[in-house]
Amino acid sequence: MSDKPLDISIRQDSETRYFDLSSLKIANCMGCFGCWTKTPGKCVIRDDATKVYPCIAKSDKVLYVSRLKYGGYDTIMKTMLERAIPVQQAFIRIHNGETHHVQRAVVPKEATIIAYGNISDEEKDIFRQLVARNASNMSFSSHEIIFTTESMVEDQVKRILEKWEK
Amino acid sequence: MGKIMILNGSPRAPKSNSKRYAEIFSKYCTAETEYYNITKKNHLELCAKMEDYSDVLFVFPLYADSLPVVFLNFLKTLEANPPRRKPVISILINCGFLEYQQNKVAIRMMKFFCHQNHYIIGSILMLGSGEAILDTPFRYVATRNIRKLAQSIASKNYQLIRATMPLTKKLFLMASTIYWKRFGQKFGTTKEQMQTMEIEGEN
Repeated sequence: MSDKPLDISIRQDSETRYFDLSSLKIANCMGCFGCWTKTPGKCVIRDDATKVYPCIAKSDKVLYVSRLKYGGYDTIMKTMLERAIPVQQAFIRIHNGETHHVQRAVVPKEATIIAYGNISDEEKDIFRQLVARNASNMSFSSHEIIFTTESMVEDQVKRILEKWEK
Repeated sequence: MGKIMILNGSPRAPKSNSKRYAEIFSKYCTAETEYYNITKKNHLELCAKMEDYSDVLFVFPLYADSLPVVFLNFLKTLEANPPRRKPVISILINCGFLEYQQNKVAIRMMKFFCHQNHYIIGSILMLGSGEAILDTPFRYVATRNIRKLAQSIASKNYQLIRATMPLTKKLFLMASTIYWKRFGQKFGTTKEQMQTMEIEGEN
């Protein structure tokens, strides 16, 4: 899942899905809780996000590519991550000693996040904390963060995909 | 005494808990306050107005472990269109989890924004259990700490304040289950239906 088009060949089949989020129509989450209380497991906004979050839930490996802003995901990726809450229930569980939402049929996943831009050390540190929090709420069994410049994003994506294919 | 601008960065600002928190803040604040919802269309107008205030209070919920994207977008506009005179920035953040500490990353992001754009950080209130607290017997916890926040900003004696329901995790879990079950009932949805494991109809 990338917030910018990637000029590389990515296999698209039943095992691998690629989403260029910048080309999709994805509105902001309205915070209506409809996906928890009215139509559980389904977002009431019927746009492209509804094709993406079921794939996130089913995947045992995810690769997210996002520009960083103030130490967090920039707008495009953050919009999609907020729209992915139908994969959770409203109900709370105790997980890793903290209160978190119960997950629906979400496969635990190895997450790799390529964070790009002109990133300061402080932003890197904030982002590491953020992804550690995401791990609890987004079912990451493990995670790796790669900080890079925008020009190196595609090389980094190729490297990760080659690693996955081995 | 200064004048305080309250900006609501919740995605459902007109119907949000953040709005209710802002109302409590205004009720107890001895300084003059003015309240605005952040919408998609009013970013520039709000950025320009900011210079009329000594303090700005951002009120927003935690979304996917950090700042709601509607609020993030406002900060990006503010960065590009700073007011001529920069107010002190205070924050009231709430999350639905029991632990107010889950707000820490969002606070670090706000501090980073303020540092990078030369705003002074004023008071911060990190609230846990913020989704339901106003409709429970623990409303007083929120009210008491929002009043403390209001007094600290009005007196410029800025503080870091932390608050949540005084419950064990297990009791919070039970209380939140009742809360959400009732929420579902309003739409005719049972607890069992809310507990479906299906996502978009697939398991």
